[in-house]
Amino acid sequence: MNDFDKDSRGSGRGGGKGAGKGKDEKGARRGGGFFRRRRVCKFCVEKIDYVSYKDVKVLTPFIPERGKIQPRRISGTCAKHQRALQTAIKRARTLALIPYVTD
Amino acid sequence: MHRQYELVYIALPDSTEEQLAELHQQVQTVVDRFGGTIERTEAWGRRRLAYEINRQREGVYVLNILNGPGTMTTELDRRLRVLDIVMRHLVIRVDEVMEKETRKQTRRKAATVSRRLRRGLPAEPTEQELSRRKAEADDADTGVDSFGEGDR
Repeated sequence: MNDFDKDSRGSGRGGGKGAGKGKDEKGARRGGGFFRRRRVCKFCVEKIDYVSYKDVKVLTPFIPERGKIQPRRISGTCAKHQRALQTAIKRARTLALIPYVTD
Repeated sequence: MHRQYELVYIALPDSTEEQLAELHQQVQTVVDRFGGTIERTEAWGRRRLAYEINRQREGVYVLNILNGPGTMTTELDRRLRVLDIVMRHLVIRVDEVMEKETRKQTRRKAATVSRRLRRGLPAEPTEQELSRRKAEADDADTGVDSFGEGDR
């Protein structure tokens, strides 16, 4: 049993055979959606080329409760804009516009 | 080689107008010494800090847009670090990214225009089109909302 678990975790990325077991958990965790909404990069849609550290309003949706930077796999931001977003958030943090941590 | 920089500093919340003016003057002198210019100054005023700095919960934010050489920024950095009235500061170079942004936007606009002309449409979207597009966007918004509610 244990071995099987380990296996499934190892190959979880590939989806393969082992994924069948974890599927229920995962599906439940992702807001109970049977169909996943198509995620699009917000910055690409709105055609924002430069993510400024000064616009706190733009940045806050990408900072969940804890104050961490939301990963791409959740927010759907494209790689290019995630990189820009990352530097913007870090700059905003040094200027105390955005918290490093909140607890 | 002159470049454009953005300088933001956070002064103590209980600093007076004179102190702030003096601080600005100090920045000005440094910039002048290196043959640079202050293009624009924006005072954001008192703002709440996201976390405590030097036991302060608020700060006075000032943004300066500067033109000047890179050596100017090192000097500014050094000066601002020494001053007690400045709690935090940040200097970043902006000319490259701004240029990139404008270049991208002009290219995008040009692409839109040529695409429209190829389709036999006028270069600029007409009033009618704009209003229709707006209505569609509104529809889409409500559609997504109801979709989300049904999800729960």
